[in-house]
Amino acid sequence: MTRLRILLSRLREFVHGRSVDWDFREELTAHLEEATDEYVRQGMSPAEARRAALRSLGGIEQAREAHRDVRSFRWIEDVVRDVRFAVRSLGRSPAFTISTIATLTLAIGANTATFSLVDPLLFRDLPVRNPGSLVQVTWQYPGDPPLNQFAFEDFQRYRDNTTVFSDMVGLVPLVTTSPTGHESASAEVVTGNFFHALGVRPALGRLLDGNDDTPGAVATAVVSSRYWQTQFNGEARVLGAFVNITDSRLPQPLQATVVGVAEPGFSGVAVGRPPDVWLSANAIPTAMRARAGWALMARLKPGTSIDEARAEMRVFYQPTIDLLAQRDPQWRHVAVEVTSARAGLSTPVTDQFGGPLSMLMAVVVVLLLLACANIGGLLLARGVSRQREIALRLALGAGRVRVVRQLLTESLLLAAAGGVVGLVGARFGATVLMGIVSAGTRSPNAPPPLAIPLDARVLLFTVGVTVVATIIFGFAPAIAAYVSAPARPLRQVGGTQPRSPRILGNGLVVAQIAISLALLSVSQLYITHLGDLRHRNLGFDRDDVLLMAVNTPGTQGPEQMAALYAEVAVRLRALPGVESVASSGMTPMSGAAGSSFLRVEEFEEPSEDRSRVSLNPVSPNYFTTYGTPLLAGRDFVDTDRAQPRRVIVNQTLARQYFPDRDPVGRHVWLEGEHAPYEVVGVAGDAKYQDVRLAAPPTLYLFAPLSSGFSEISLRTSVHPTAVAADARRVLADVFGPESVGRVTTLAEQVDASIVPERLLAILAGFFGTVGALLAAIGLFGILAYTVARRTKEIGIRMALGAPRVRVIGMVALSGAWLVGAGFLLGAPAALWSTPLATRAVENPPASGPAPIVAAAAALVVTALIAIYVPTRRATRVEPVVALREE
Amino acid sequence: MSAKNDVLYGSLGLMVLKTLEALGPLHGYRLARRIEQISGDRLAMNQGTLYPALLRLEQAGWISSKWGSSETGRRVKVYSLTKAGQKQIAVQETDWQQATGIVARFFDIQEEPS
Repeated sequence: MTRLRILLSRLREFVHGRSVDWDFREELTAHLEEATDEYVRQGMSPAEARRAALRSLGGIEQAREAHRDVRSFRWIEDVVRDVRFAVRSLGRSPAFTISTIATLTLAIGANTATFSLVDPLLFRDLPVRNPGSLVQVTWQYPGDPPLNQFAFEDFQRYRDNTTVFSDMVGLVPLVTTSPTGHESASAEVVTGNFFHALGVRPALGRLLDGNDDTPGAVATAVVSSRYWQTQFNGEARVLGAFVNITDSRLPQPLQATVVGVAEPGFSGVAVGRPPDVWLSANAIPTAMRARAGWALMARLKPGTSIDEARAEMRVFYQPTIDLLAQRDPQWRHVAVEVTSARAGLSTPVTDQFGGPLSMLMAVVVVLLLLACANIGGLLLARGVSRQREIALRLALGAGRVRVVRQLLTESLLLAAAGGVVGLVGARFGATVLMGIVSAGTRSPNAPPPLAIPLDARVLLFTVGVTVVATIIFGFAPAIAAYVSAPARPLRQVGGTQPRSPRILGNGLVVAQIAISLALLSVSQLYITHLGDLRHRNLGFDRDDVLLMAVNTPGTQGPEQMAALYAEVAVRLRALPGVESVASSGMTPMSGAAGSSFLRVEEFEEPSEDRSRVSLNPVSPNYFTTYGTPLLAGRDFVDTDRAQPRRVIVNQTLARQYFPDRDPVGRHVWLEGEHAPYEVVGVAGDAKYQDVRLAAPPTLYLFAPLSSGFSEISLRTSVHPTAVAADARRVLADVFGPESVGRVTTLAEQVDASIVPERLLAILAGFFGTVGALLAAIGLFGILAYTVARRTKEIGIRMALGAPRVRVIGMVALSGAWLVGAGFLLGAPAALWSTPLATRAVENPPASGPAPIVAAAAALVVTALIAIYVPTRRATRVEPVVALREE
Repeated sequence: MSAKNDVLYGSLGLMVLKTLEALGPLHGYRLARRIEQISGDRLAMNQGTLYPALLRLEQAGWISSKWGSSETGRRVKVYSLTKAGQKQIAVQETDWQQATGIVARFFDIQEEPS
């Protein structure tokens, strides 16, 4: 109560500050006059009385100051004054200010941009009841990514019989984008308990419930609030309306009656895939319901751990494994996983980019630290040059805390400017990042780009980063100012400076070198890894190949297709710039063209080793076109059409199934077929679906062009895109314009499959370089300062006959010391961080000391330049000039 | 003791309140002199420190001030005790008694016969 009254009256006095001040002045005047009168009455002379009165008051200004302290929010006035002063003082050194803000903008912007992507993907909880207890179930076939897809009857079995979950829901995302790019409302089929289990409330009408799953019940749907607003203008007529959803796997659109609208803010359980419509299971045909892969999400019973849930799910999944392992022993290695789904179900984006983006987040945080160390050093140097100013202020009675606060205000102002500009830059950066991420999603049904809203969390993050940065880089100069003794800088002109800022400054440079060594090592690792993926052992020549997808009507028989292909091949081959033409069922990294178990004459495959081989139907000239060598036997030729049951195997397959035998001329059988194939050749190994994995055993079947989807590849003598238009025209001519699909180059296709690695290599490389540059600037700064400080000393030494080499050695050595100390500290950090960094990529490279050595070498070169310039300046010192200098 | 004592920290407010209670409304200088006189001129008060203390008391609502005139006819600010201030005196007096009582016990320590 009293506190509130005090606050209110202070507020009043603060607002009326000036008039209250005048009042008090008047009151003091009256006080002095009264006192003077009394002393006069006691017999003093008026002048004496006045002095005595002043003495007993204890100073007018002090009294006014003390009065003001009680009266106002003094700190507000001080802050305003500090900010004004800081702006003026920063404005006096624009180069320093701009470069500092630019560095901060980059660091804070990079952090904000990365965070705005990482946060919704990995960290942010779903906006549903108790997201912490949500889990997802996945299984993983050796060599494949984990899948959350289960048969509907399995879902029912788990839902009804498991004991660890309080709820289990299933959902099937529909493929609502047609191959031609037409898009209907995005939709998801969900089980009736979906909304109830998540605790989502309706904004209008009702949500789905168990009754919607009853066989024969009418097909119902719930729409999202966003869809309701955009399509129905937020009007109640949405209830009872029909929604039509197309799924490219179904011949007819699905139709369902809208019964309700989900609450705003709920946009599904998978990040980046917000459905407009949730359909009840009755909306899809019964056959599709049984066949579709249902994604499972469950809620743990209170007190149940994920480990317990995993153990129980493994028991329940075992029959499936047993069944499938009878045909494919690889199923014995399949493991079921239960993982937290508090941030939503995993998607291809989270699977592929979760690791790289987290790593990138770590990289930009380290970059921020480095930038802070750099700016701290700059501010410290600036503080040293301002030492006389600060000492003067201390000597005139400014409190140390006030001076420190003034310096911190300057730091905060710089950081705030960097934060604001960084936030703007981050919007741009996040869009670019998102573009890279979306382009690289391998799934054929790529989710739509994530919306990256600038929300409160991102803003809060930026503010937090800014404040932390200020504390870090403002710390050193503030400490230096706090411990400085006012008398010394005022007394001295030139000569040596106090030790403490110098030690702090050196420490900051050492820290920068250490951090940038670790940063460069990590980026070096990613760059090397990317280089490996791109060029080493692909098994084909990625350059100068044009790829075209064709979709031919399925009505023609093999004979007609072969005739059509013969025509197309001749016409394409005749195009200028085309060297060879081939067709194939798949092209490298485009996905699989099928797989099968293989039986080989006179070879018994141990049953536990039984695994599928990859298939690829190809035309003659496929190996020529791709630059894959034939190691034995021959290529397919057109006349093989008469006896098409001929195959070419790759080296891995030959080694596995024909140990110590020549495969050529032998016979193999595909599973489920009676007629054998004759092996006519052995080709070199080539990567198939994934550049990260070793080439799988591959069987090339003879098939000039199969009906349905296939790919036509052209090797060109010019840049492949130059012949794209002509080639497309030929295909449209023969198959019809509708049949020509995606046209791209092999190089692009390979690059698109390694976007996570490219993202890391490019961005980590960029940030690593920036970090090294900052460290070099820091080193340069401190050495240049050392030389400037010791100019007189160097002059004396040279005047006394010290050879230039000694002077050079002296300066270079002080730089080398710093670099050496930085390396000593940075090497363990780098050794520790590189193995950590390899976890962010699939099939990581072995982490050895190589990247660290490369990073150290790069830093040494940079450091040499940073040392060279100040050293040179030191040798240019003219003894006479230096000595005369005051 | 011969030297004058400094005003004990925190006690100035209570002195002001008690003086105003005993003598009625006073202006700043008169108040300062009265406090010195009541102490038997044994307090070395820096009269300037009285004003921040007055302001604090006023902010807390224990005293009020208005412009009036002094005995010599000067325009001065006159301070008087409020109702809340009277209550506060009772509170502070008890506190003070307790505090001094505690300290007094330490002067009475005698070695207990064991």
